[in-house]
Amino acid sequence: MRLWLSALSLFAMAQPPDFQRDIRPLLAKRCIACHGPDEHGRQAGLRLDTFEGATKSKAIVPGDSAKSRVIARVMHEKTPMPPAGQRLSATEVDLLKNWIDAGAKYSNHWAYEKPKQVSVLGNAIDYLIGVQLDANGLKMSKPASRETLRRRAALDLTGLPPDDSIKNLEPFEKYVDALLASPRFGERWAKIWLDLARYADTQGYEKDSKRSIWPYRDWVIRAYNENLPFDKFTLLQLAADRMADPSIDDLIATGFHRNTMTNTEGGTDDEEFRDLAIRDRVATTGQVWMGQTWGCAQCHTHKYDPLSHKEFYQLYGFFNQTEDNDQPNDTPVLKLTSTASTLILRDLPGDKQRKTRIYERGNFLTPGDEVTAAVPAAFHPFPSKAPKDRLGLAQWLIAKDNPLTARVQVNRFWSRIMGRGLVESEEDFGTQGAHPTHPELLDWLAVDFQKDWDVKRLLKQIVMSQTYQQDSSASAELLRKDPQNKLYARGARFRLDAEVVRDQALAAAGLLSPKLYGPPVMPWQPDGVWLVVYNGDRWITSKGEDRYRRALYTFMRRSSAYPSMMNFDAPTGETCTIRRIRTNTPLQALTTMNDPAFMEAAQKLGARPLAEMFERVLNRKPARAEVERIAKLHAATVADLKAQPENIAKLLKYSEALYAEDRETTLIPDARTRPREWRFVAGDPGPQWYAADFDDSKWSAGPGYFGYFEKPNESTPIKSHWDTDRLWLRIALDLTAPLPSRFKMPIRTNSQFDVWVNGVHALNNIFERASHYEYLLNDDGQRAFKPGRNIVAIRVARHGTKQSGQVFDPGLVASAPVEFPKPKGNDAARAAWVVVANTILNLDEALTRR
Amino acid sequence: MIRRHLLTGGSLGLANLFLSSAQKRVNPGKAKSVIYLHMAGAPSQLELFDYKPELIKYNGKPCPDELLKGKRFAFIKGVPNMLGTPYKFARHGQAGSYVSELMPRFAKFADDVTIIRSVSTEQFNHAPAQLFMHTGNSRFGFASMGAWITYGLGSENRDLPGFVVLTSGGNNPDGGKSLWGSAFLPSVHQGVHCRSHGDPVLFLSDPEGISRATRRKTLDALRDLNAMESQRSGDPETEARMSQYELAYRMQLSVPKVMDISKESEATHKLYGTQPGRTSFANNCLLARRLVESGVRFVQLYDWGWDHHGTSKRDDIEHALKPHIDEADQAISALLTDLKQRNLLDQTLVVWGGEFGRTPMRENRGGKEGAFFGRDHHPFAFTMWMAGGGVKKGVNYGETDDIGYYVVKDKVTPRDLQATILHLTGLDPHALHYPYQGLNQRLIGPTDEGRVLRDILT
Repeated sequence: MRLWLSALSLFAMAQPPDFQRDIRPLLAKRCIACHGPDEHGRQAGLRLDTFEGATKSKAIVPGDSAKSRVIARVMHEKTPMPPAGQRLSATEVDLLKNWIDAGAKYSNHWAYEKPKQVSVLGNAIDYLIGVQLDANGLKMSKPASRETLRRRAALDLTGLPPDDSIKNLEPFEKYVDALLASPRFGERWAKIWLDLARYADTQGYEKDSKRSIWPYRDWVIRAYNENLPFDKFTLLQLAADRMADPSIDDLIATGFHRNTMTNTEGGTDDEEFRDLAIRDRVATTGQVWMGQTWGCAQCHTHKYDPLSHKEFYQLYGFFNQTEDNDQPNDTPVLKLTSTASTLILRDLPGDKQRKTRIYERGNFLTPGDEVTAAVPAAFHPFPSKAPKDRLGLAQWLIAKDNPLTARVQVNRFWSRIMGRGLVESEEDFGTQGAHPTHPELLDWLAVDFQKDWDVKRLLKQIVMSQTYQQDSSASAELLRKDPQNKLYARGARFRLDAEVVRDQALAAAGLLSPKLYGPPVMPWQPDGVWLVVYNGDRWITSKGEDRYRRALYTFMRRSSAYPSMMNFDAPTGETCTIRRIRTNTPLQALTTMNDPAFMEAAQKLGARPLAEMFERVLNRKPARAEVERIAKLHAATVADLKAQPENIAKLLKYSEALYAEDRETTLIPDARTRPREWRFVAGDPGPQWYAADFDDSKWSAGPGYFGYFEKPNESTPIKSHWDTDRLWLRIALDLTAPLPSRFKMPIRTNSQFDVWVNGVHALNNIFERASHYEYLLNDDGQRAFKPGRNIVAIRVARHGTKQSGQVFDPGLVASAPVEFPKPKGNDAARAAWVVVANTILNLDEALTRR
Repeated sequence: MIRRHLLTGGSLGLANLFLSSAQKRVNPGKAKSVIYLHMAGAPSQLELFDYKPELIKYNGKPCPDELLKGKRFAFIKGVPNMLGTPYKFARHGQAGSYVSELMPRFAKFADDVTIIRSVSTEQFNHAPAQLFMHTGNSRFGFASMGAWITYGLGSENRDLPGFVVLTSGGNNPDGGKSLWGSAFLPSVHQGVHCRSHGDPVLFLSDPEGISRATRRKTLDALRDLNAMESQRSGDPETEARMSQYELAYRMQLSVPKVMDISKESEATHKLYGTQPGRTSFANNCLLARRLVESGVRFVQLYDWGWDHHGTSKRDDIEHALKPHIDEADQAISALLTDLKQRNLLDQTLVVWGGEFGRTPMRENRGGKEGAFFGRDHHPFAFTMWMAGGGVKKGVNYGETDDIGYYVVKDKVTPRDLQATILHLTGLDPHALHYPYQGLNQRLIGPTDEGRVLRDILT
């Protein structure tokens, strides 16, 4: 590593420093915060970000570093510049000196100059990558094997392993075309866009209530499948409602910016959170289309990039006219069918339009000067005929003169299938961002993309290149020379995205449902993950094939993400996520080893022959050494299973045992059907009233509903009158072995209550619910049931004042036990293959796209 | 693992990489671990710690206009009346600290803790206020205190997560999981929410049918098969991922062990008032001791249900507050006793508090006084306390005015608390940073207003 460092340093010395690569980042990091565009923060009236500013006061004397005051200042013994943090290193000072001596040439930040296409021979990607490889004494690696390449392309383009129906299409180009044409393509790339759109199925903040916006998600899938050109993709999402004659489908697209959060916490100010949503829209638009961190300028002029505080609010002006204003019902909502609706953008009528003001220091309580909608001066002008609204802004974003939009999109598509962006800081193409590793290539692709904004064409271009198709193995030398593969002397290799990890497992097992679109679903999730305040929402496992849909259809709650997604770095949707940072944690290992969703896949996959397991997961045949090692594992597992034979059936019936909800039976019916009689009393029955042997014969007897209403309520017929502060209930329940499991009590109440099972405290609740709610008994309660007679006892305590009524109604349900038959024949061997499948799904090769 | 964000390219960037990890730890802090007890909803300081006899005198009188003009409230409308506390206060210990009758056991620790009555924030809604307290920003997207501390210091125990979160009260706190998130910091530093129901860590248990012995065998096979792949690919990440599998395997043993309170003595259970099998604040306090004993760096407890507005019997300062504070009083005192007895208190920083305070006025929801007594959200003044880990013993820091509305002496903001807590663990709050989106992100935010409260440190 150190050799590499000094080699680069030497290389840097030999030529005059490149302003963009060497000087601008140095100035930006160490000087510009105090000597830059921001007037408020500027010290000593000195600007170093422009030639005029720097040379005006002889801070820099072009051609003469010895006379340049900045050199003296950064080299000062006692009080060097910058005054805080580390002083400039010797290398950095030398760079500055050399640059000044060579004339102190400033150039505009590279990303703000329009991209240009250099001339290339043959495939532009391979040519331009090749030029840099040559300059660094490297060569392309050999091509990846046929199987490896096909798996790679399938995972990249569709997020799934190669589908049987297309995987043998020849030649490779035909296979690629088939992948691009598959509806799986849209699902995969939609998810990537939804990260940027900060999509979620809830409102966010404290209550995080459900929100119906999935039709927008479906719109995005269709847009990718139909290969909607990126410019139209942009115009529709930002401003379909401002166009001449938008269809319903077009309007759905405006959901992009309705993904902002709505705060329904008691006592919150609607305008405060409407304002936050607008700021988010400005910041997100800047990031997604132009890789600019506009959000920084909501409180002060950007410290580094050309966006003043005023200009932030001028951009804000474009977004400030929409109707939505942090209402609990998320209006305006577009009703699509009787069961489907989605959120849209709609502007207020002309006479109700808002004035936009600069918020001093970013505080919405201190509005300053009024501004009108405008784009930042540092960029190309607003298109002359464009309307001064979101549509005009969208047109400005995709204008031919915009130096950034095409580059930023191209960079993102490149990054997703090549492992890293040509500009690593995908979220920041500003002066603080990374310099492109291959500026000519980025520009060439950007100019090319701008011709037709055709996404599939761009992706195909990359996938068909030799660069993309290289083998991804790295020799020790390559690893040393280029650990992060910035030069692309080998194919990319990186861990799969969260959704692909799951989808792949399901697809390999043959479990994945091909169903597209529709409301979000709820695959199996552990109990107790959703515990959101003031919110009775529960995770109710979907039925049938909805348990096995692609991950992007999983219900996304912002405050409580689906655990396996979160563990694999999927974002929560609270803010725009431009790129996911891939991490490596033990929680990931626990997920793929033990998450029942993955175990289900292992069970199904384990029913196939080993060669097929490899084929389906890794798209190749196992090597002999692998077969042997796995055989050892299998044999050892069989031995373990024979020693604990009860595990055999557990493995073979894993999926059946998992879905306890499929085996629910009613043990004590509640008032919604034909309620059983409970014994009850309204006066304190004394101690140990919940004990099994307590004599309740003197209590009254009756079924639910218990309570009273001042006006009789037909939907809630009171069968047993109760109008005091407290109520005690008991019931006997006979059970036989084997016992059911997962005891739950559906209870209707507006009071506090506690439940005891055979004298063991099993449940406590203080919340009121509007209808029967299923409470899961605690661990002690679950264990308290026994064969024979069981006593369930409840104490109810009314909250609050004597209102117009109170109601209580209990029931009890549980899941019938799974029958685990005694093992016979080759059951042990079959069960051991399930364990093998679990192992194969955890192979590093399985979790990686290589 | 090389973090990728630091670099702008070229040799300059790489040089920075070597320096950054050395920068983080400044000195061996007094606090090896932190136990942060957050009472979500905002416990009423006027009922617990901030004795205001003047307020009692004004009980029932309308609130003066100057305290209402230009202020925003969560729920108070029009002119509310003042509410003096119905509870008795007394001075305790050599320090003469005021503690109310609601916390008789904690009062005995007056000479062990520093009570700060001058905490002041700007947020008066739960989620933003909790986010501000724990991540340094009232909006989402910022790393939590525990993530910063484990990022800076790692953890003493290789087999347990460095940052553990325990919740009680029936709900997650209002700010949600972002309160213990890692945001832009490497996600290995996020808080791991250990549950007391089911698997303590999600997916910790092997699937039904896979015994411990078999699990070990699968890991051995994985290691061998991955090694074959590694030979082919040369990718160092394979090795890194394999080590996470081994850590996961160790966690499968170590986490249930540390989370199992059943083997604690009868006396300990009695001391805390633990309820085995039930999720409870008391259980979580006992678990917190066990976790820091095992070397976990940052343990955070969120107990929900302190939002005593007084709209019903369920959230007023009489019927609701009393039993809740009684349980908390016992659990907290037990924790302090326990830490002391095990000689852990000096190296464990214990922090207690909510996200803001409660108003000296009685809440009049919708402009009308109801049948129950409670207070609205109050950002300007509230009480927190700290103990152990380098904090002075027996100190009362900061004061509010006669009625507890504003801070009049030694104002402490959440930024100051963040700076102080980082400092006590041995980190420099001003230097500890992570470059993200052009800014060197810090827990204490971009300005230098957060100060270490040296006056309360030993």
